[in-house]
Amino acid sequence: MTEWGWVSFAYAVAYGSIAVYTGSIAIRIRRSKQIIERSE
Amino acid sequence: MNVQTRIRRWPWVAIVLAITVAFVLSMVSPKDDVQGELVRIMYIHVPAAWLAYVAFFVTFLGSLTYLLTKNLKWDRIAAASAEIGVFFTGLTLALGMIWGKSTWGVWWTWDARLTLTAIMFFVYLGYLALRRTTDDPISRASRASVLGVLGAVQIPIVHFSVVWWRTLHQPPSLVRPDGPAIQESLMLVALIVGVLAFTVVYVSAMVKRIELIHLEDRRIEIEHSIDRPVAGDSVVVPELGAKT
Repeated sequence: MTEWGWVSFAYAVAYGSIAVYTGSIAIRIRRSKQIIERSE
Repeated sequence: MNVQTRIRRWPWVAIVLAITVAFVLSMVSPKDDVQGELVRIMYIHVPAAWLAYVAFFVTFLGSLTYLLTKNLKWDRIAAASAEIGVFFTGLTLALGMIWGKSTWGVWWTWDARLTLTAIMFFVYLGYLALRRTTDDPISRASRASVLGVLGAVQIPIVHFSVVWWRTLHQPPSLVRPDGPAIQESLMLVALIVGVLAFTVVYVSAMVKRIELIHLEDRRIEIEHSIDRPVAGDSVVVPELGAKT
């Protein structure tokens, strides 16, 4: 792989992971709110 | 969009803005004489490692303060920070492996820094697992806080491992007795902005993660509440002793 190939791979892993992790927090917040609203 | 929605969304907006600025700077900075374009991996690998240290240090402070005050607020801060710390440590390991393969020719080597970082990753995974052993907030906080305090011993050991032992990993880039190793000003700016951008990611994720812990505690409280209907309105309670 070329140097730019490795750099692109690393940035895809870093920014992709941040997007997935923060997205998972947002989904878990929404799901918890829905469960609480249904129960109250 | 109303004001409340805008306020709730600021952490997400801050993350996008911060990493966009960091990305642009890391791409326009010059290539290194030795590492060539591969030096750009440093602008995400070093910030991820730093924020892992910061996150675990906040876990240490939160855990210690909980043990002293018994206020659950501090345990929530410790827990939120530990999860984000595990995320950043995992990211550090993954990026380090990519950088290692492209420069050293191997994905992994049992080097002191790499091995100790992996151990730190698994210890804090254990911290998160320990928190799931009970729903009782008090016993959960008490157990986790002890590990949160003890686990912090690893932070200086991991950081100074490249100084204390002869390792393949390069010495610290920023915090070192003779000043930063990077002499090119734009490269130094890109690295500092990278650290600031990941700090924004950390703070924003902390705000949302603490909100989530509050919601999860409320959900567990509701699930354990005796007044909660078991199966909704569709179930008719049978009359005991009634003729069939």
